[in-house]
Amino acid sequence: MWAFLYIGAFLVSFGIGIASKMMPRPWAKDFTVDWDDSVGVMYRDISYGSADSNTFDLYVPADNSKETYGLVVYLHAGGFTSGDKTDDTEMLQWLCSKGYVTAGINYTLRDESHPETSVSSQSMEIKESMPAVIAEAEKLGYSIDEMTISGGSAGHCLAMLYAYRDADTSPVPVRMVFGAVGPSSFYPEDWGCYGFDQNTAESKEAAAGLFGVMAGKEITADMLGTPAYDEAMKDISALLWVDDDTVPSLMAYGKYDKVQGFGASVRLDEALTAHNVPHDYIVLEHSGHGLQNDDKEARLYSQKIEEYLDRYMPVK
Amino acid sequence: MTLTQKRMILLLAVMVIAFILGRLAMRAFMNFLLGGTLFGGNFL
Repeated sequence: MWAFLYIGAFLVSFGIGIASKMMPRPWAKDFTVDWDDSVGVMYRDISYGSADSNTFDLYVPADNSKETYGLVVYLHAGGFTSGDKTDDTEMLQWLCSKGYVTAGINYTLRDESHPETSVSSQSMEIKESMPAVIAEAEKLGYSIDEMTISGGSAGHCLAMLYAYRDADTSPVPVRMVFGAVGPSSFYPEDWGCYGFDQNTAESKEAAAGLFGVMAGKEITADMLGTPAYDEAMKDISALLWVDDDTVPSLMAYGKYDKVQGFGASVRLDEALTAHNVPHDYIVLEHSGHGLQNDDKEARLYSQKIEEYLDRYMPVK
Repeated sequence: MTLTQKRMILLLAVMVIAFILGRLAMRAFMNFLLGGTLFGGNFL
């Protein structure tokens, strides 16, 4: 009987161990809010373009007495092929509870129905959505006079493109960008996670194939490492838009990322430093794409979001 | 110490070890999908 008891206890405890690892981190509740009408109101699926996926959700604070508001946009993750704006509902509600108008924006995902979609076309959709987001907020009585853009993974990539590439044409000034694990450049040597750093004919072909699809352009292996490659990839490489006027940037990356090239973030950090751009580069030394093994740094990233917003786009 | 007490202590040890192994297994699985080290950081 004791033998069965030991086996049963082992299996149950093993299962509890697995389940406990899947629970939200205890400190995460500090970055959520119990959402109800006293906090704000959500408006779902507002259209901004002709494509089915050209919709956004808008969250407005209950206090509508202020003359102007800051807008915080958060773009969803999903490898440019999946995900939805509702994935970030908690984050958007939390940011709204601080007094910002917030928006989650969908973009056309690359899938079998949309084989022509690229990171480039997705970034243009985000750019085109911004006037509609701001106009909708105005319609609801919330005048927007500045904004922050942010996101996770693919969303972080698109957020950086908007902040670094499109800020000049933004309807309102972009004050800062924050995000985690978003690719910012596409040099094969940085993308060891896919073996592109091996510098063989096969790895070069593979890198040219993937990055060409992402850019929506024909990229050949011969182009890698040439100025023509930089030129072709510039539309989707936030790194190549960094200059002295780049907005303050907060970013977090996992050193063992298997989904996007960690080396690209090192390059971005160096570029931001070289141009004296205020930024924080948080490296999670034991984590991958999920920032899952370094609680202290993951929490620091969340705390820094508040700190950056207070510093660069304080609530009026 | 009675035999039952010894068995209870062993049962407790089995549960603690299984709990830790469960967390480690989950961490290994997440690392497999996303990248990461098995040890270091917030170990448990």
